[in-house]
Amino acid sequence: MLAYIIRRLGVALLVTAGVAAISYALLHAIAPNPAFVALGDRSSPIAVAAWDKANGFDRPEVVQIVDYVWNIARLHFGYSFKLNQSVGALLKENVGRSAYLSLASLVLALIIAVPLGIAQAVKRNSPGDYAVTTLNFVLYSMPSFFLGIILIQFFALDWHLLPPLVSDQVTSTWAAIIHPKQLLLPVVTLAAIQVASFSRYMRSSALDTLAEDYIRLARAKGLSERVVLMRHLLRNACLPMITLVGLSIPSLLAGNLLIEYIFNYPGLGLMFYTALGTEDYNVMLAYVVLGGMLTVLGNLIADVALTVADPRVRLD
Amino acid sequence: MVHVQQGPYGGVLPADHPVGGGPTPDGGEIHAISSGWRLALREFTDNRLAVLGLAVLVFFLLFSFAGPLVYHGNTTISNPLAANLAPGGGHPIGTDENGFDELARMMQGGQAAFEVGAFAALIAIVIGTLYGAISGLVGGFLDGLMMRLVDVLLSIPFLFIVLVLSTKYSGTVVEISIVLGVFSWLIPARLVRGEVLTLRERDFVSAARVMGGSRTRIVTRHLIPNAMSVTIVNITFLIADSMLALAYLGALGFGLSYPRTSWGDMLGGALTYVQNAQWWLVYPVGACLVLVVLACNLVGDALRDALDVRLRRR
Repeated sequence: MLAYIIRRLGVALLVTAGVAAISYALLHAIAPNPAFVALGDRSSPIAVAAWDKANGFDRPEVVQIVDYVWNIARLHFGYSFKLNQSVGALLKENVGRSAYLSLASLVLALIIAVPLGIAQAVKRNSPGDYAVTTLNFVLYSMPSFFLGIILIQFFALDWHLLPPLVSDQVTSTWAAIIHPKQLLLPVVTLAAIQVASFSRYMRSSALDTLAEDYIRLARAKGLSERVVLMRHLLRNACLPMITLVGLSIPSLLAGNLLIEYIFNYPGLGLMFYTALGTEDYNVMLAYVVLGGMLTVLGNLIADVALTVADPRVRLD
Repeated sequence: MVHVQQGPYGGVLPADHPVGGGPTPDGGEIHAISSGWRLALREFTDNRLAVLGLAVLVFFLLFSFAGPLVYHGNTTISNPLAANLAPGGGHPIGTDENGFDELARMMQGGQAAFEVGAFAALIAIVIGTLYGAISGLVGGFLDGLMMRLVDVLLSIPFLFIVLVLSTKYSGTVVEISIVLGVFSWLIPARLVRGEVLTLRERDFVSAARVMGGSRTRIVTRHLIPNAMSVTIVNITFLIADSMLALAYLGALGFGLSYPRTSWGDMLGGALTYVQNAQWWLVYPVGACLVLVVLACNLVGDALRDALDVRLRRR
């Protein structure tokens, strides 16, 4: 088990290094010189050359890439020439709020999707099952920003129940936690998109599990339906959800970006969006690489968690 | 058993029917002898949702490409006097802040969606099929290397890298399609490789090899055509994903250049529109987007089921 984890960790580190290298090379290819961003479009060639030398952009590209990967390995994300502060500090400032948004919606999505999927499987092919499946299909095809707009229309503008945008007062993670009303719409929007794929998957997993012999046995020995579902079905049907949650990190991050943009919630996504507009080289790069890291980490944790949760799975 | 298939943006779609359940003699009944493709077609047309999805797609194709021949609206000349008109009069779906006719713009947006969807999916499927087929066929060290590269590229969040590239290349349909296509071939490559790995052990491939068929011939004449069903199913999902990605880019302001527009571009100011109670600038466009993506997903799902049946009965 330990050897497996160590080997997976090694692969994960290599993949992350690859992600950093490829991202750097790509950005380098489309935006060759950040000097103009730092110094201004009309800076003189001499100033640019001096700046390149000072910041190491005069070295061969391969050296720069290796250097960047090495920096990422030490969690040095570079310097934002636009905002005049280190990217690390920027990330630290924003990561809490984004993590809170993502985790809250992930938890909410699971709380809704798991029972919903089981209920659909138990009452399969009923009008309720069809209704939920249809809704899931629509949600699955709905861009998150459009769903956000619809929810703002109803809950904020028509019914005046919730604020349409996250208030400027939510400046810290703690503020976000103690003002749940501010975050309710963004969290629900992000969760709804996740529920669409989670409950669809949960339904099919629960259907598979319902057909198992041990469920039939549990029923045959006279256990109540509640015990059958809670003790025998739930735990087995949830196993694939471990993999699913691990694999859903990229869509969660993408949703995060759009939701932060729509609701004007200051997090990593909004930071990235601003950086795109100002061509803030290192911030853009850091966000992409961080997304890659989280994706790799999500897969790794899911695989390890599955081996722990399900002794039948012997990954080698 | 856990059947995990990666969906758009790394999300996961359930595979309701496991592929290749082996031969199933259904109680001795004899099926009419028909080709696998015809079986798949019958299964597909039996699925009412799929037929509905196909009808929606045909409707929107006509709406986008034939519509402008019938309905003419101003989409090029800014006209402040006709700006922000509610539906009615000469503008069935009103006008936007530039005085452009919303219905005519919706048709243009549809054109962009279909063009980008098809073109990006085509690029992705060509690269993915070739890459996967080659990787599966050569095997060994090179195969491992090629698949590790896919692992690395798959770990880069699709939307993020596409957004970074779209700051420079997003003005035209061709540019945006290339950006999307070049980062969407990874899943098809994996699927095709998996298919090729099982196919290459089959007798007809060995026969072709023994008869002296060149590697190119085996790949292009035997492996790729037989891996087609996987590819076809994937194309519809690729189209849906590309359309969604185009919408995301547009909504974030990295859309097509004037005078072309996409549904996402039109929804860029959606928040302002709903606050100004200009519902006609938000919901008709949004509905088009959701309906077309939904239709693609329905067709894709049905195709997967239909081709599964073909595989099972073969």
